[in-house]
Amino acid sequence: MRRALPLMAALLLLLSACSSAPRASDTVFAMDTVMSLDIWGREEDLQAAEDLIRSLDASLSATAEGSDIYNLNASSAWDVSPDTARLISRALEICALTGGALDVTVYPAVLAWGFTIGDYRVPDKPELEKIAETVDYSAVELDGVSVKLPEGVMLDLGAVAKGWTGDRCAELLRSRGVESALLNLGGNVHALGSKPDGSPWRVGVRDPFGESYLLALEVRDCAVVTSGGYERYFEEGGVTYHHILDPDTCAPARSGLASVTVVGPEGVLCDGLSTALFVMGLDRAAALWRECEGFECVFVTDGGEVYITSGLASGATLADGYEDIELQVISRD
Amino acid sequence: MIKSRTFVYIISAIFLLSLALAAYLLLRPAPGRVAEIRSDGVLIRSVDLDLVRKPERLTVTSEWGENVVLIEPGRICVESADCPDGVCVASGWLDGAAPIVCLPHRLVITLTGGGSDVDAVTG
Repeated sequence: MRRALPLMAALLLLLSACSSAPRASDTVFAMDTVMSLDIWGREEDLQAAEDLIRSLDASLSATAEGSDIYNLNASSAWDVSPDTARLISRALEICALTGGALDVTVYPAVLAWGFTIGDYRVPDKPELEKIAETVDYSAVELDGVSVKLPEGVMLDLGAVAKGWTGDRCAELLRSRGVESALLNLGGNVHALGSKPDGSPWRVGVRDPFGESYLLALEVRDCAVVTSGGYERYFEEGGVTYHHILDPDTCAPARSGLASVTVVGPEGVLCDGLSTALFVMGLDRAAALWRECEGFECVFVTDGGEVYITSGLASGATLADGYEDIELQVISRD
Repeated sequence: MIKSRTFVYIISAIFLLSLALAAYLLLRPAPGRVAEIRSDGVLIRSVDLDLVRKPERLTVTSEWGENVVLIEPGRICVESADCPDGVCVASGWLDGAAPIVCLPHRLVITLTGGGSDVDAVTG
């Protein structure tokens, strides 16, 4: 027995080294969607992330009375919180990077189409042209925490808020010592670290024409964000109108793409780019990718072709039932 | 003599027991596809779809409204609901890619095990 003791102690040590942090999960209803949080950490860490999500929702929502953005749109000049100012500043940079294919002032058009509360209608051409005159991100004046909007211009951070939330949650969790977490913010996925066993997270890219996912990407410390016309749309007179509006025309973007997925370490950039690249179409989107660093993409065209940028190609596997698809790799040169 | 016979019996019993245990571990049915029904984040029912024998209707009532969940052998959907948008009913049968969500009523039905080899799906 005495001889067995050190052996047992060694065994116990080995076993305890194997066990990872406990898993804490919850579902959060916020930002007009359902979010699932899986955190390998303590309940307090999960609670802290939830509190952060609710506070970001309360300050960034364009529709919630009393939010920074609501107040700004109602008064045209408002001092927002330092946090909101940081996001506005980053969002305006992304608008500039995409040459206005992402425009955070397209909100009057979103309202006209009824995409905010679901009372859908098709605005006529003169109405859209009139609205298009007010859509211009460069007209937003940001000075510290003071924001000024010209007459008729409205700000909406919906295209970047979830990506930003993913970044902020990951930052918070990391500072609390969490090394592994998967945040699914309404289909906007943010993976912190790798899986508890050290292997990469596997994130599926949804088939825009079906109910399943068509390929899986292996990622670590990355956001994976998809924009697609299938996410929110309505039909009228046999025509389908989806929610991704082209800031130039203020009508649904018809660029030949069915969905765009952007992968990268910065969630807010991925979020904003997924919308912008969808508006730009495959050729312009690929050109922008070649000019920039910090993100990779998957494009699915209206014809069902799948294009993937070279940085992702090695970590992508086609799902069961999609083996026949030929992945077309876009390279840097 | 008696002592060694007892010894043989004990060894045989242990051998047979471990054989039975090995057979059980190897042959037991793999955990099937389990649908989890949550209302406002609280798990209210967990159903192994592969063990369902006859159709069943489950009415989930919350402070926001009512959803009627239809459970059939191997599949599950929201059959009807008094929510304003009806997205949950239009979603059809649950699959591995995306959960069925009724946002206004905070009802979520997810599939775990068997169905999917990814950790999350975007979009």
